[in-house]
Amino acid sequence: MVKVYALVVVVALLGGVGYAAKSYYTSTQQKIQTLSENNAKLEVAIEQSEKSVNLLKDEAAKNAELSKNLQEKLQKAEAYGDNLRNRLRKLDLLADAISNAENLEGRMNGATAKLWREIMGETSDLPFWLQQNNAGTGSEGSDKNTKSDSPDSSKTKTN
Amino acid sequence: MTKIQKVTVPIVARPKPINLTDTQVYVVNKDNLEAFIAEFTEQNGELAFVALSIDTYENLALNISELRRFINQQNEIIVYYEKAMTKELDKSKEK
Repeated sequence: MVKVYALVVVVALLGGVGYAAKSYYTSTQQKIQTLSENNAKLEVAIEQSEKSVNLLKDEAAKNAELSKNLQEKLQKAEAYGDNLRNRLRKLDLLADAISNAENLEGRMNGATAKLWREIMGETSDLPFWLQQNNAGTGSEGSDKNTKSDSPDSSKTKTN
Repeated sequence: MTKIQKVTVPIVARPKPINLTDTQVYVVNKDNLEAFIAEFTEQNGELAFVALSIDTYENLALNISELRRFINQQNEIIVYYEKAMTKELDKSKEK
């Protein structure tokens, strides 16, 4: 009888151990699966973060280049006024008007017509930066024109 | 997880280009005053004109140059924003 009880106890113990082992195996498998899923999510998150960081780096580089370019263009836009101020300082228009009015009149009308043409060119439909690429006009072109020391002396005709 | 989303703003059309009309300046001194009056009256019918001193003319020219500078700089700032907002430009730059 004792042997039967002992056998029952042993079987019960073995059953308990087996159940515990199975539970442990099952829970471990679940943990592994969960960890695998989390790992996959983390990999996606890292990939996304790297993409975001790269995008931000690219944007920063692009913005720095655009900003530098803008500063250059803003500086160039000052050229016409600076050039005009320098020329007016050097010239004595009053003396020119007294000594040779006809010549000064031609120079003034030529320069004015040129200025109107340049301003119309700078504000045409095409964006400024496309004008520079395609037609070679725009601020760069007009800067070249304004640097010219010989004003257009042709007299413009009134309509 | 933070995803960077670039905001896209449609680029609007530029305003109508400036259409300027030709202008005529007359330079008059005491020597050509009589000839100017005769020619001007013949061309315009009446003798009435707006006169500017040389200094005022210079100031007018400088004022126009300031307006031109402002227009060009404003234009460049718009171009800056257009380039910053347009994806197509990035692609075409890479080609």
